[in-house]
Amino acid sequence: MIEKRNKKGAIAAVIACAALLALIVVLENVSVFLPADSVPNVLKPTSQLFSVLKKGAVYSLAAVSMNLLNGFTGLFSLGQAGFMLLGAYTYAILSVPVADRAAVYYLYGGSAVNFSFQDMFNSVLGTEGVGGAVSLGLGVAIAMVLAGCVAAAFAYLIGLPVLRLKSDYLAIATLGFAEILKAVFQWQALGPVTNGANMIKNFPTFSSFNITDAGGKVLLRLSVFFPFLVSMICIAVICLIINSSYGRAFKAIREDEIAAEAMGINLAKHKMLSFCTSAFFAGVSGALFAMFVTNAQAKVYTTTMTYEILLIVVIGGIGSISGSVMATFLYVACSEWWLRFLDNEITLASGMKVPFLRAGFRMVVFSVVIMIVVLFFRRGLMGDKELPDLFKRRPKAAGKEEQA
Amino acid sequence: MSENVLHVEHITMQFGGVVAVNDLSLDVNEGQIVALIGPNGAGKTTAFNCITGVYEPTNGKVDFLGRPMIENFPQGKLDKTYLGENKGLYIHRLAPTPDKITQLGMARTFQNIRLWKDQTVFNNVLTAKHLRRTSNLFTAAFRLNKAEEAQQRREVMELLEEQGLAHLKDEVANSLPYGLQRRLEIARALATHPKLLLLDEPAAGMNPQETQELTAFIRQVREQYHVTVLLIEHHMDLVMEISDLIYVLDFGKLIAQGTPKEIQNNPRVIEAYLGVAD
Amino acid sequence: MEFAISVLISGISVGGQYALIAIGYTMVYGILRLINFAHGDVFMVAGLLGIYLSASLPLYVALPLVLLLTVALGFCIERCAYKPLRSAPRMSVMISAIGVSYLIQNTATYITGGQPMTYPVIPFLSDTVKIAGTSTKWVTILTPFLVLALVIALQQLINHTKVGMAMRAVAKDFETSQLMGIKINSVISVTFIIGSALAAVGSMLYFTNFQAITPTAGALPGLRAFVAAVVGGIGSIPGAVIGAFIIGICENVIKSTQFTVFSDAGTFALLILILVVKPTGLFGEKVTDKV
Repeated sequence: MIEKRNKKGAIAAVIACAALLALIVVLENVSVFLPADSVPNVLKPTSQLFSVLKKGAVYSLAAVSMNLLNGFTGLFSLGQAGFMLLGAYTYAILSVPVADRAAVYYLYGGSAVNFSFQDMFNSVLGTEGVGGAVSLGLGVAIAMVLAGCVAAAFAYLIGLPVLRLKSDYLAIATLGFAEILKAVFQWQALGPVTNGANMIKNFPTFSSFNITDAGGKVLLRLSVFFPFLVSMICIAVICLIINSSYGRAFKAIREDEIAAEAMGINLAKHKMLSFCTSAFFAGVSGALFAMFVTNAQAKVYTTTMTYEILLIVVIGGIGSISGSVMATFLYVACSEWWLRFLDNEITLASGMKVPFLRAGFRMVVFSVVIMIVVLFFRRGLMGDKELPDLFKRRPKAAGKEEQA
Repeated sequence: MSENVLHVEHITMQFGGVVAVNDLSLDVNEGQIVALIGPNGAGKTTAFNCITGVYEPTNGKVDFLGRPMIENFPQGKLDKTYLGENKGLYIHRLAPTPDKITQLGMARTFQNIRLWKDQTVFNNVLTAKHLRRTSNLFTAAFRLNKAEEAQQRREVMELLEEQGLAHLKDEVANSLPYGLQRRLEIARALATHPKLLLLDEPAAGMNPQETQELTAFIRQVREQYHVTVLLIEHHMDLVMEISDLIYVLDFGKLIAQGTPKEIQNNPRVIEAYLGVAD
Repeated sequence: MEFAISVLISGISVGGQYALIAIGYTMVYGILRLINFAHGDVFMVAGLLGIYLSASLPLYVALPLVLLLTVALGFCIERCAYKPLRSAPRMSVMISAIGVSYLIQNTATYITGGQPMTYPVIPFLSDTVKIAGTSTKWVTILTPFLVLALVIALQQLINHTKVGMAMRAVAKDFETSQLMGIKINSVISVTFIIGSALAAVGSMLYFTNFQAITPTAGALPGLRAFVAAVVGGIGSIPGAVIGAFIIGICENVIKSTQFTVFSDAGTFALLILILVVKPTGLFGEKVTDKV
């Protein structure tokens, strides 16, 4: 009976995801198919909406992967930005076309790594038409998987010493590792690989996935679709892990380490599994982030970024995947789009200026809102419930009715 | 003569200058129900923690199912400050973590119930099945272990039915009444397929009637699951009724062992519990 | 040689300034088991207050006022952001601290417009002095002594007054001391007040040396001070001070070599090394879970 219900739920989830993806494609292509003057402002390619959607997709993966570790396994790690940095750099280093390397790495006389996956596939499949598209897709996909693997491998090395530490110490040690990584990637001596403190750019980004004709005119936009697709696949995998036997073991560790160990769950092994899995997806989201900002630069991946993602996780509800996703979009939309008007000075018709409104006010209001959520809605949007739970009739309540 | 399940040899546990368990040796044979009793602070739970791997004993050895499982000798700072006996008898260090010991077939409950409080009854028991899995993270995530998962779910359901908890399977563990939480904790321990079940004060906080039921329950568990039981208990009615063999600890030292009858009439035990008349 | 001395002197001086911040971290952690991420920002606000107040008031009024206002800020943060969460899980409180830090930084950006501000010249402290052949500011020389004096005073307060006794009791066992009739809230307030006051003093010393203040100027010294507190064994005041001196010296030694990029990385590497070797820091107490 349980399995049947699960199967139904899974099918519903797949349908919902497919519908969402279709909606995204439609939304971003309104401007392609309709004449320019009949497109509402919000759907124009330059609209904040699409930027919010892209960043939301990237950050939701980062938030969910952090939730896997902090929310489901109860390990308080603040290394998220560090793993994203690893992912971003791995992706960037493996993806800059060979032809552009000299220009990107001009300070170091070219790059030490002289191949990219896309070029490799291009040489087999050609650069034009379907062959070009396939080699772009494969090149990006392989680079992204490797980005995740590198982050996971580093997580393994970092985890060996630090996972034995208790809550706060673990937090501060992982934060420290993120800072160390940031410094290492800016080190001049590694310049030929990391381009030192300069950014790596010219690799395929989201807009590379737009389908254009020979003249560069966009035929079909997929620049929002792509990050959504990647994030969805990754989040789906995380959901599968959480609902598996291992996910139950993670939750057991979160709720009572001593009981979990007494019931035969190997703490060191499972903490490491969770840590590496989380780092893998953080690495992928880092690669996505690099694509979103169209460059990879170490100084962007600060502790502030980790805090931001942590706040998203908390707002969504620690231990809720759907909460994290919804919170991400709300957070990104508020900070980048909906509250924008607070940054502009507005002069009323009477000539009076609206007080307080000037650059920077948006972030003040935003952080006040966050404080209110943290203080008064402690369980976040969803608590530890998932979206489908809200629609489900709780069997417990039903039982009680019968008794009465 | 039935087979030896647990053989504890000269276990000493020293914290700083305090010797919590001093030179404890005991044996538990297959199918027995053995009780470890003693006044408060006698070191019973510490002894449990040494046997289950939570603490690493300072000195001594534990064999489980005829094989060495834990062994240690005073090292480092403790080498000089060691206050116990039988120093130098052991030279190896064997310190498996609690999960390894549970893997070998020893499961325990806790004095202050340690269920996964926010999870359902069903999930509590199902999670305890995790250690008997053959899947890895990858096969589990992509549902390549469906048969195993279904098998485990079936087993859990059977276990819950046998324990009379089946109708509560979707309740959150925390919402159960105290007696049922204890019972769930035992069911969870049974889910790991133990040969030896260690119960740390299973009747703590129960009224006489519940204690009566528990007595029958422990017996039934032994018959049904072919487990051997080692328990710590303060309720003397229960201990005397149920035990095949009793060990008495006082101030960390074993002061008596024997059948319930022998223990009841042992002057040292009476002295330990009631004090000496001047 | 002269170079080595100047590195050492500035290391000790910066270490002293970190020590003043680290005490705030370590005291709060000792009592609430909370990493007060906002503490570094309180330190930054003290710097900003110094700039704004000294612009319109004479220094001998402005500096005490800075101290007073910083203390008030610390007190308010505790009352508004931490007190309502007293019974909440520790992670919630820590996140609240991150939120406060975010709020303070954003407000500072709003008020200053994000521009670096210049700290006023405090007479005497900013004057240069020659010692062992290297010239430096008076503040560099004075800092370690001032820090030692303050720490000794603080130790006296903790070991020999009623409030100090209450603080030690609360740090040892929060709930029991509550049952014993200790007014938890006032003890915690006192802790925050002391921490903020020391941070204010620290900011005067620190920013006299590093004149520019940006809204994020508190984050890094704050983090370093926190690392110092952890290295020394969080909860222990002498530990925090010694940790801070170690961190300060290490940082300046690394800065003086060609590996300047790694000055913070070095700090964190030291932290991780110490945590791995001795997880509770140099002077921390070992806590074991009861089973």
